[in-house]
Amino acid sequence: MALACPRCGTQNPDGNAFCQACGTPLSAPVAVTAGAYAGPPPGMAPPPPSPGYQSPYYAPSGAPVAVHRTPWMLIIAGVLVATVLMAGIGTALALLGHRGTQASSSSGLADIPSPTPGLTPSPVASATPTTAQTGLQSNDGFTVNLPSGWSVDSKDNETMVLTDPNGGGSVTVSSGVSIPTQTAQNNKDTVDSELKSKYPDTRECPSTSPASGTLNGVPGISWTLCFTLTSGANSVPAAASVFAGANSSGSIYYLVMVLTTESNLNSYVAAAKPVVSSVHWKLS
Amino acid sequence: MRCDHCANDVPDGVFCTRCGAHQGTTGQAADAKKRQHRYAAHPSEHVFQPAIFTTIFPHLGHAKVHEFRWAFVVGAAAIVVLYAAGLISAAILVAVFLVPVLYLIYLYETQVYRDEPALVLGFILGGGAVLGIAVTLVERALYNPYTNFGNPLRGAGVSVGALLFLGLLVPIVQEAVKPLPALFLPNRRDFPETVDGLVFGIAAGLGFSVAESLVAFSSVITNLPVHTVSGNWIYDLATIAVLQPLLQGSTTGIIVAALWRYRRGRFSSRELGGVGMAVIAHAAFSLGTQVWKDALLSPLFVLAWQAVTVGAVLIYIRYLLHHSLLEEAAHMGYAETVCPNCHTHIVASGFCPNCGMALTAAPASVKRARKPRAEAKT
Repeated sequence: MALACPRCGTQNPDGNAFCQACGTPLSAPVAVTAGAYAGPPPGMAPPPPSPGYQSPYYAPSGAPVAVHRTPWMLIIAGVLVATVLMAGIGTALALLGHRGTQASSSSGLADIPSPTPGLTPSPVASATPTTAQTGLQSNDGFTVNLPSGWSVDSKDNETMVLTDPNGGGSVTVSSGVSIPTQTAQNNKDTVDSELKSKYPDTRECPSTSPASGTLNGVPGISWTLCFTLTSGANSVPAAASVFAGANSSGSIYYLVMVLTTESNLNSYVAAAKPVVSSVHWKLS
Repeated sequence: MRCDHCANDVPDGVFCTRCGAHQGTTGQAADAKKRQHRYAAHPSEHVFQPAIFTTIFPHLGHAKVHEFRWAFVVGAAAIVVLYAAGLISAAILVAVFLVPVLYLIYLYETQVYRDEPALVLGFILGGGAVLGIAVTLVERALYNPYTNFGNPLRGAGVSVGALLFLGLLVPIVQEAVKPLPALFLPNRRDFPETVDGLVFGIAAGLGFSVAESLVAFSSVITNLPVHTVSGNWIYDLATIAVLQPLLQGSTTGIIVAALWRYRRGRFSSRELGGVGMAVIAHAAFSLGTQVWKDALLSPLFVLAWQAVTVGAVLIYIRYLLHHSLLEEAAHMGYAETVCPNCHTHIVASGFCPNCGMALTAAPASVKRARKPRAEAKT
């Protein structure tokens, strides 16, 4: 049975010692001092609360039911412990994994000797489709002879992307007209800038430095870039051995880029050597 | 009092404890019945408020949410410190585990798994992780990043093949696979409420996300020097730590919640829209990331794009969960309990009469502590 508050009339649940609306003790009568307001005269009192009134609140009695609560310090500590643990594991993995896979000190593409005559005197008007038997591939800018197992992944008038039998990297060869004219240094700067935009940690690989030279007869600059190649579910420490050249007037550009993992660069450059050395530039 | 909206006689309060309607709300101010200005899991927020914690941690009360926010801030600060120190491998691992570890603590705090933590967590988180490894390994086998590099002297270019694969096929396959652990949970009948499905879906998605990130970044973690140039790694770290797990968790959560509704015979256009939203948002996230990166846009723009797509999924989760809670809480019996949101001792049915929280979203321990009462008033 609900207890009615003697002061305000609020119905309180059984067991309440005080009115939950006004705080008046429910067991004690309300003291009315002489001269104090004694309520409205008979007949003027406000209507009693609806008999249907039911408070939404209750005063808990007896032992409180245990409710599981994780202390805030435990929550923070859990995250901190996980952080320290993961940071430690990450550092240990980096230590173990990086041992013996120091950055390559590639000698660069420009040093690859040319087995074919360098510059051709004039552009070839139309590229001749190559046959699979000979492995000779061609576009408007160059021809390349593919060894067994290598294939053309994509090809347009200026560029071919070539892949090795194991898919461990790629060789991009490109040549075309530069408008406006660009020196080899300009072309190198463009490559650096594009890669830095796409892969923000792009930098020259340790123990490497740009070097001038020729590749299959065209002058240019050879250098090696290291960066994290992130694409889809792949994120690998990659390295690109790049050659960027230009003709004397800067109207033609030449590009060869050997791309693979940072730890595998030297051996991949060696494996790609027959491909790179077979490039025959058509434009001069 | 008699509720203005469901006409039940209920204990006095700001909200009807039977239907959750906000009493005294006029049509001009808001719709009292749908009460979108009072999100059922966290009534101090609007349903369409883009909030992370009150969306993926729906069981947490007002105060507890702040503790999880602070824990997240601590973890995020650790990532920033590691990044600034050039310890990228360590920062990546911390980033991969930050949100999943928080979620594990959340599951422990709310005990959503009730009496079977090993079975539920093992099946859902473990199953998600196993599927994540399998799907990501297949993806890596099928996609060679070296061949989509392009010609840097010819500026930005977009590979259509890579876009279709990474931006369309992979998200669809992932969204088809990720809910499987939750859907085939052996004791799933013990968890009939939509909020359970949502939490299990998010957990499965987070398990998948951990595995996916670990496989994707395994080469980087083991091959980068311990201390390296920090560069702009902070953008990738933000994606790994926050946006990727939120995407994977929330899209799976919304699909599993929709399927939970289907099991209750409540599959309507709202639930169908949830499944569509999950797939479209995942595709938009992946497609946009690939296109904007190929187009050499600022990494900040890429992050903003990812945040917008994740935000859209989170808002849809709130919309779906809000209406599910309004329906499902209305069938609870009267009991003495403590509101996990405002901490008031109440005699209530499905909603706290004081703050309006749907009590089906209370932690398991609070639900267990309910002392059933006869109908408060007939």
